[in-house]
Amino acid sequence: MNDQSRLLTNVKAYLFLAPFLLVYGLFMVYPIAKGFIISLHDWSLGMESTFVGFANYSSMFRDSYFWEALWNTLLFVVISTPALIFVGLAIALLVNAGLKGTTFLRSAFFLPFILSISVIASVWVFILQPYTGLLNSFLHTIGFTEEIFWLSDAKLAWVSILLATVWWTVGFNMVLFLAGLQEIPEEFYEAAEMDGASSWKKFMFITLPSLKGVMLLTVVLQTINSFKLFGQPYLMTGGGPGTETRALVQYIYEKGFIEQQMGVASSMSYVLFAITITFAFIQFKFFQGKD
Amino acid sequence: MRSRKKKMPISRKVLYLLGYTMVFIWLIPVLWMCITALKPGGSAVTVIRDLLSPPYTLDNYNYVLTNASIWNWTWNSFYVAAVTTIVTIILTSLAAFALSRMQFFGKTFIFWVIIAGLMVPVEAKIIPLFQIMIDMGLINSYSSLILPGLAAPLGVFILKQFYDGIPNELVEAARIDGAGMLRIFWSIFLPLSRSSMAALGIFTFITSWNNFLWPFLAINEEKMMTLPVAIPTFQSAYTAELMIPMAANVLASLPAILVFIFFQKHIIKGITMTGIK
Repeated sequence: MNDQSRLLTNVKAYLFLAPFLLVYGLFMVYPIAKGFIISLHDWSLGMESTFVGFANYSSMFRDSYFWEALWNTLLFVVISTPALIFVGLAIALLVNAGLKGTTFLRSAFFLPFILSISVIASVWVFILQPYTGLLNSFLHTIGFTEEIFWLSDAKLAWVSILLATVWWTVGFNMVLFLAGLQEIPEEFYEAAEMDGASSWKKFMFITLPSLKGVMLLTVVLQTINSFKLFGQPYLMTGGGPGTETRALVQYIYEKGFIEQQMGVASSMSYVLFAITITFAFIQFKFFQGKD
Repeated sequence: MRSRKKKMPISRKVLYLLGYTMVFIWLIPVLWMCITALKPGGSAVTVIRDLLSPPYTLDNYNYVLTNASIWNWTWNSFYVAAVTTIVTIILTSLAAFALSRMQFFGKTFIFWVIIAGLMVPVEAKIIPLFQIMIDMGLINSYSSLILPGLAAPLGVFILKQFYDGIPNELVEAARIDGAGMLRIFWSIFLPLSRSSMAALGIFTFITSWNNFLWPFLAINEEKMMTLPVAIPTFQSAYTAELMIPMAANVLASLPAILVFIFFQKHIIKGITMTGIK
């Protein structure tokens, strides 16, 4: 290939790429760079900004509310990720068991995922309401007399947020696992059956190992999604009681948009950014190393 | 057949019982939302007997439709989601084609920069993105809602995966016939990838339709709000009784539920494609 035609191929390829690269540059790459610049400034909207070096980062590290929000988010990640993986896999196995009405079962479990967080939060708040809520009424009918304050007790508020999250998003994981399950060749199970393997053994030695790739993907996606926690606590508890269910994203929002300290908010965003990428990387390596 | 049914093992029966009990519990919140939205004000909405017997009424829906700009918000959500979907498909399919079938300087680098974007949560970009929208004078506009959604690395990734599987003989044959790259893209790759594009499209549409955090920040005028932002704002005035908020919830969910019913297969496929391979 001569220089001229090579140049031409390059130009052509970049013409195909240009429209996407333009928006990707403007709304993905540029914000990431700009976020770092903002984090080095004392920055609020419509005001002259001053360069402060890493002062925002050090004030962030001294802020106990930051640590609380980070801790809340980490706690949610650590509890919700295994829960969503486990329940997702369990439902997928159930749906994949060849019962009549498989399509209906799959759709029903997936349905909540297509609803908006605003609707989810509103419905769950009404379900969990003390005195008038559906759940407490049900518990009273079966004999519990105590009034449970699902959303105003810190521990129960986290249970409620977890419950609503599992209900809302587990259908996504179920679909991923279902796809994985359907790729396992039937012969594997037939061979195991001839050797007289029990259902449990088949699950442990065929199903689980075959799902390794899907498992990696689901764990990574789920971890990142759990770190992004915002809507559920913001709309269900407002981050309360006090600030006990306030997630990192909500604190970033409040710091940046309500307190107008965009520099500090940006440094917190960078922490979120760094953590999600690190986790994705670690999990990837971990699963790779198991080969 | 009959003797077979009789022989259904206990474990199978347990599985049926478990599956259908669970699915029933799973659907309770949605069923409850739909039923309470039909109950007249002042009814008991936690007693099953009352829920399942009349009176039912459409008053709550009438009330929401006259007192809230549901149509307007639905249109905003629809417009933003539709434009985001169409433009995303165009941009990502062009980029995916170049990455899959063309040789150019910096290809690997560009591919990895795009893949890295898969791991960047929008939540970590809200501050700079807001500042950028202010600088561009786009706050409170459709553009502010559409543009960030277009930087979608997932679409490039999915379509590239699909394009990579298209046999090279097809491309070579078209080349011998004198077709240029644009022609090959248009008359071979686009038609072949129709179902992948549909899956990506529906997935993009629903994501945009349900998007909460960014529209919540970028829009503060009521008439520009999308449903997920407007609904909580509207509901906050009705905390005493749940019939009105529930009717609003149903109205806000109806379009997504309809899309889901008609395009389930594509939706499931879309998710599967984001995952497998």
